[in-house]
Parts: sequence; C-alpha cells; structure tokens
Amino acid sequence: MSTYRWLIVYFLAITLLTSACSGGKKIPAPTKPPDQGQSNPTPVASSPTPTPKPTTAPKPSILRIGRAGSPDTLNPGTALLSEAWVTFELVYSALYVQKLDGTFTFDLATGVTASPDNKVLTYKIRSGVKFHDGTPLTAKDVVFSYNLYKAHDDFPYMNGYTKYFDKVEAPDDTTVVLTLTTPVPNIESQLGYLFILPEHIWSKVADGKAATDFQNSDMIGSGPFKLVEYKQNEFVHLAKNPDYYGTVPKVDEVIFQKFENKDALVQALKTGQVDMIAEMPNTAVATLKNEKNVKLVTGAPLSPDITDIIFDQVSPQDCPQGSKCSGHPALRDRTVRQALSYATNKQELIDIVLLGLGTPGLTLIADGMGMWFNNTIKDYSFDITEANKLLDDAGYKDVNNDGVREMPDGKNSLIFRLNWPSDSTVAPRLAELVSKTWAQIGVKTLPQAVDPDALTAQCCPAFDYDIIIWGWGSDPDPSFLLRVMLTSEIPTGSSESGYANPVYDQLFDEQSKEMDPAKRQALVWQMQEIVQTDVVYLVPFYSQAVQAYRTDRFKGWITDQPKLALDHVINLQAVEPVQ
Amino acid sequence: MKRLFYLLNRLKWALISIIFVIVLNFFLFRVLPGDPARAGVRDPRLTAEAQQALRVRYGLDKPVINCFTSLNPLKLGNCLENPLDTQFFIYVGNLLHGELGTSYQTGRPVAAMLGQALLNTVLLIGIAQIISILLGIILGLLAAWKSHTAIDFGVLVASLVAWSLPTFWLGIMLLFGGSTWLNLPVMGKMTVGADFTSGFAMALDVAQHLLLPTLTFTIVVMGEYMLVMRSTVLEVLSEDYILTAKAKGLSTFQILKDHALRNALLPMVTIIALNLGFTVAGAIQIESVFSWPGLGLAIFESVGRRDYPVLQGAFLLIAFSVISANLIADLLYSYLDPRIQAESNE
Repeated sequence: MSTYRWLIVYFLAITLLTSACSGGKKIPAPTKPPDQGQSNPTPVASSPTPTPKPTTAPKPSILRIGRAGSPDTLNPGTALLSEAWVTFELVYSALYVQKLDGTFTFDLATGVTASPDNKVLTYKIRSGVKFHDGTPLTAKDVVFSYNLYKAHDDFPYMNGYTKYFDKVEAPDDTTVVLTLTTPVPNIESQLGYLFILPEHIWSKVADGKAATDFQNSDMIGSGPFKLVEYKQNEFVHLAKNPDYYGTVPKVDEVIFQKFENKDALVQALKTGQVDMIAEMPNTAVATLKNEKNVKLVTGAPLSPDITDIIFDQVSPQDCPQGSKCSGHPALRDRTVRQALSYATNKQELIDIVLLGLGTPGLTLIADGMGMWFNNTIKDYSFDITEANKLLDDAGYKDVNNDGVREMPDGKNSLIFRLNWPSDSTVAPRLAELVSKTWAQIGVKTLPQAVDPDALTAQCCPAFDYDIIIWGWGSDPDPSFLLRVMLTSEIPTGSSESGYANPVYDQLFDEQSKEMDPAKRQALVWQMQEIVQTDVVYLVPFYSQAVQAYRTDRFKGWITDQPKLALDHVINLQAVEPVQ
Repeated sequence: MKRLFYLLNRLKWALISIIFVIVLNFFLFRVLPGDPARAGVRDPRLTAEAQQALRVRYGLDKPVINCFTSLNPLKLGNCLENPLDTQFFIYVGNLLHGELGTSYQTGRPVAAMLGQALLNTVLLIGIAQIISILLGIILGLLAAWKSHTAIDFGVLVASLVAWSLPTFWLGIMLLFGGSTWLNLPVMGKMTVGADFTSGFAMALDVAQHLLLPTLTFTIVVMGEYMLVMRSTVLEVLSEDYILTAKAKGLSTFQILKDHALRNALLPMVTIIALNLGFTVAGAIQIESVFSWPGLGLAIFESVGRRDYPVLQGAFLLIAFSVISANLIADLLYSYLDPRIQAESNE
C-alpha cells in the first residue's frame, strides 16, 4: 500500500517539475502587460504608446558586466585581489584618479602646493562633498583614513603606500597637509589608491583586530557609485550616486557577475545575459568577431600584463638562510641566458600562444608603461646560429654526443627543469614551443606544471627551480617591478630570479628619490638596459586586453585611449543605455 | 533491544570516523606545500613584514603542534610549548565550541560562508538526485520487465552513454544549447538586480537557473541507477517466489510493486547512500560550469588560496555527510532486510 502511495507521489513530483520548467517560457501570459515582463533578458524596446498610468517608476537601466573574478572582501585595508580594487575605485574617492592614458589627475583634490624640499604637500580638497549616507566629507576624513592605513601594518597594501608618511594634518575642512619623511616621486600613483573612508563609521573599528575583521558590508564611500548588494564570489551590485560631485553616471545600476567558466562568460555575452565582458579566452575572439550586436575591442590593459621566463641565477653566497638554491649552475652564466634569448622566437609565440593578441616583450617594464618604457632597447633577434655560436665559444660542448650540451667542465648537462603554475592558460603552449627551439641549441627541458602555491614555495626565496614561466601585472609606477630585481629582495621572496647587481641597486635608489621626471626616466631606462643585457628575465610578450560589449544595450564606451579598460570608473561614468 | 544495540554500535563507529577526519583534516592541508600569507598573491608590495602581519592575523605564527613549528617545510620546534597555544589545539578547541573559525580570504565566519553554500548545493543536488533516483528506478524496472526487447535495449544503451559522459563536457554542451535555443540563464542562482514582483516570480527565476545544472547532473547520475536497478530486478524476477506470485494469478504490476521492487531496493540503497554523501562535494564540476555558488565552488576557491579554515570546515562537512549517509543506509538495511541486523550482532 505504502509503495503504491509513493509511486503516486513520484509521478506527481515529476509532472510538477516538468510543468514548472516548461511554464518558465510561457510566463508572458496575456494577463500581464508585456512591458512588465521582468524575466525577459532580451532588450525590449519601450512601447511607443505611453502607458496610461505608470504605477511604478521607469525601469532602471542595469549594466551587467561578466568577469572571472570577484572581490575577496570589501574592506580596503585587507583586500588583496584586483577585483576588489576595481570596486573601491567605483565606490570611494581618493585625492587622485588614474586616467585611461595611465596618468593621474585630481579627483577629490583640487590643487597642491609643495614645499621647496618636496617633503610637505598641501592639498586643497573639494568642499560640499558628501558620503553616500549624507555625512559631509571633510579634510578630517582624509587625515583619519591616512592615519588608519599608516597605523595598521596588518593592512598588506595600504600600509605600504603610507610608508614615507610622517604626519597628516587638517588645518581646516578643505586643506590636508601631508608631511613626508623623504620626497616621493610620482606620489599621485600612490595617493590614487588611498581611498578616503568615512571617519564616523571607521573610527569605531579603527583599533587592532577590529579593523581587519570589519566586513564593511555597507561600504559607505563618496564615489560615483554606491553599493546595493554584495555576495562574495557571486556578484557586486552597485547603483549610481546621484549626488556625486563629478560626472554622475548615466546608467542607474551596474552589476558585476562572477563566472567560473570563461566559455560560459562568452556565451552570456552572445545571448545578451551580460552587456559587457571584461575578459575572455583569446580562442573566443574569432567567434565573437562575427557575432551580431557584439563589438570586440583589444588594447593595452590598464595594468600591463607581462609573461616572463624566470631563470634561477642566485649565487651561492646570496642564497638566503634555509633556502635550497638548487638551480642549475649554467643559468648563472649570462652567456647561457643570452643564448636562450637568441633561441626564442617571440613572434611565433605571440602568433600561436596569444593568437596574435600581444606585443614582443623586452623587460618587466612593459610597453604600456608610457614614458617609463624604454623603447630604444635592442632585442635579441631569433637567431639559432648566433645562439649556438655563443655557447660554442663559451665552452659548452656536447661531449657525449647525446644532443645535449655539457658545461665547460664536461659534467653537468644543460638539462633544465621548466615549471609553470597549473592555472596558467598560456604557459603550457609556451613551454612546448620554447623547448622546441631551445632543443636546437642543445638545451633540454623537463617541463612540468605545478600548483601555483606550491610553485611559490619552490620559487622564492627557496630558489628550488631552474626555469619558471610566470607573469606580472604591473602598477602604474615602474618602481613596483624594478624592485623585484633588487639584491635586497632576495631573502624576502620578492626577487624570483636571485639577481644581484650593485650598480642596478644603486640606480634603483637614485630613481626612487629623483623628483625630476625626465631625470628619473633616464635612470629607469638605464636600469632596463642593464637587465636586458643580463637577461634577468626572458620576457616573451606583453598580452593585450581583450574585452567585448553589446552594441544594442549601452553606448559611449571609451576605446580610443592608450589603455583599454571597459570596467574602469571613467568608462562606467560615460556609458549610457542605447535609446 | 537488539535494534538499539545495533544503532549504538553504528553510532560509535560514525563518531570514531569523524574524530579521525577532524585530525586528518587539520594535518592534511598543512603538509601541502604553500603559505596562506602568500597564496594567490605574488606582489612585491606584499613585503616580508606585511606577510608576517598576515600570518599573525591568521594565527599561523603559532606552532602547528608541540615540537613542530611547521610541517611543510618541516621545522622542529619547542616541545614544552603550552599545548593550548598551538594551532592544532586552538582548532580543536574552537570546534568543541562549535566554531569553524574565520576565513583567511574573506574574514567572514566559515560557518556562515559554508552554510549558504551548502544550502545552494543541497538545492541543486537534492532535486537532481530525486529526479535521477526516480527515473533510474522506474526505467530500470521497466527495462528488466521488458528485458530483451527494444525498450530494454534502448534503456541500456542510453544509460551506458549517460554514465560515461564527461560531466564537464555535457554541462558545456547543455549550456550552449540551452542558452542559445531556450534562452536559459548560463550562470548563478538567480537574476541579480531583478525586481521580482512576487515570491512566485522569484521561484520561477531560480527554477530557470536550476534547469541546466540539474539536467546535467541528472543525466550523469541516472545511468548508474538505471543499470543497477535493471540487473537487480532481473535477478529478483528469476526467483522462485516470483513464479509463485505469478501462479497465484497476481497482475504484473502487483508482482513488480510488492515482490520485485522491495527486494531490489537493497543494492540501490547502498549506491544512493554512497552517492548522496559524495555528491555534496562531487558537484564541483557542475558548479564551476554553471557558476553555481555551492560548496564545490567554495572548496575550489579555497584550495587555491590555502584558506585552511574554509577547507577544514568544508571537508568536515563532507565527511559528516558521507558518514551520516552511510549510517542512514545501515539503518535502512536493517529495516529493509532484518537478517542484516541479526548477523551483525552475531
């Protein structure tokens, strides 16, 4: 009897479910006016006949953005991921904001005067600015925020930006006096990320663990957008701030959605479920190019995207305590690294690995770095003969005739471990291709993908590797990546290569104090020449940003600037709904 | 009384397993190479001091356990440390207070993070399991009853194909098809920012989002159920008591319902129990294709970041669900087949 009842329940459940599923498509039933069908994701042109009694407000324009990441937290103090910083730039104000040509311009600040020694900077800030909750933003909030960042060495990044702050004061509501311990060139690129937090909220959690534990789930800022809702690893829902002091966004709401799967991301754009995608696999470019109502754009990314091949060149005397330093001794010889450079066909790598969407790489300072990129450097052309000659002359001969050269002492064969992080999409093909050309000069590789975190442990400061394919995203200021080649960074783990050169270290010091941009540029260029000659890194290419948007939904995207970032605050302020 | 003993005996083993898992979970992740203070973030701005501050914040500055400062790289340390001030006993102490800790990555309590994720996974997997169990049983029964006919052959081939389909691939295919032709959503649990006019509209939106992942999961799991059901029923149908039932003049439906089904359910309970436990975690592939914010995704994210508290919590949850599903299966056995209970008590 009971089994019989169960069977009936089964069938009922199935019929219910199937009817519910098919019912989904039939929902715009005649009982509902068509212009209220909220569930329909395709754009519905508003009906030309005016609705007699608009009981509800006009439908807000919602811009949906698909991307593969999501903020780790809304707390600017503890955030580590770039998606969090994209959100902060939309919701908070800072004294400066980065433009799409890579330079910085005033945001909250309206002017600055510097003392003759460049140590005291007096900023005038806008008056009448209000936080999203209506509280006025004054110079006191700026002082509070800077002091908060300065006081918390458990804020991984923010604390670093305040490293040279001596004191911050607010003589009145619109003046901020920032005193530095030493002059800092290009300080706008640091102040641009020091977001102004409301004192009346953060002062309650300013001390100790309270600040790092603070979820900041209301995220009260003063930027062009305010937070509506945030679900970690799912979405960030923002609405425009109608009281914003600058350009008020033309869209009503912006929703960032996180896709785990990049093919699904592309499909969502094709079917109109999102209006713009901030990233995509290069393999999708061909299909999206011919897609109706989709515009594909490529260009230099806001933050340069560098792919690099790292050689373990730490010398035994520089090996940090407790590190393995098991790198192949031949890689400490610059000639070998130069030969490997000659034996690398960068154009082929770009064409095959990036499907053409990249530019040949030189050093860690990428072509997207504007004036800091040294465009006079001569690269190692692809020349197998020259590479072979270099190795022959230096005494690397194939003693035992197995196709692999030995070191001049005749013992160590040039067999290198070649590793890359397993989440890299470019590295497997890249490893395969360089191994092929390197084999032509008698160098053998042992390629293997490694879990990214395990690779970090292997890399630095352990130096338990030979060659790693990895990459960097760069900050706007060149100091960021020039720093990783410093001798002093070998024990900290920031130096991946173990490169040590006192001349380079000296130049780094000089450029980090040089206030004259032209003189600083000369120093930075000279440093690039040194690391290019020494082949600290072999940089196969700089990748381009590939983004796409639907032309039938929003217009006004800024794509003609030196940098391409459709999800940047300037773009989201500019776009407006089609119609 | 016998039943009570049996139950207590089973409970004892379940408890021992869970304690074992608690200990193993803790050490498993710490033996892996990697450092939560640097995982996922390679950045020269993250100075050595900043990394150390992170370690202090995460509680990783304390020794793992007495005599061991860290397990990978293996570093020996002070054995006379106050045991309660080591990572292991802080973890166990928190667990005894019912606390799973705080996520390194998000700073949120693990229990809250996993609770929401678990609900989402249960919604997806629960529906898919119910549908696939029902369809599996019905189709398996049908195939066995109509054995060696076109229906049987069709069911057999279909279930073999379904069972061997790679989940990931099937998911992507359904995603492309479903979104192109039926305009179904490709990601997430519901339309963010939609202004739902009623609870029904919202449920409908969730149902639309559920459709593709559920279908994928159902297809992949159902094949196994069908095959097992078919072969068991075939076996049962060859028994003498079925012949007797036929001789008594019972209808085919009655024979299947009263005699074949219940006897054939025993092996089904085993697989279902095993599957139910594992599918809490086994949905990783489907959740990542459809960006479904479930437990599988939470684990996936946390592995990359070495978010120990979330991983420990999630693995404990999975172990707990596997163990309790098995416990329930054991108990169901004794209900379905009283002989088992008698045997286990000698």
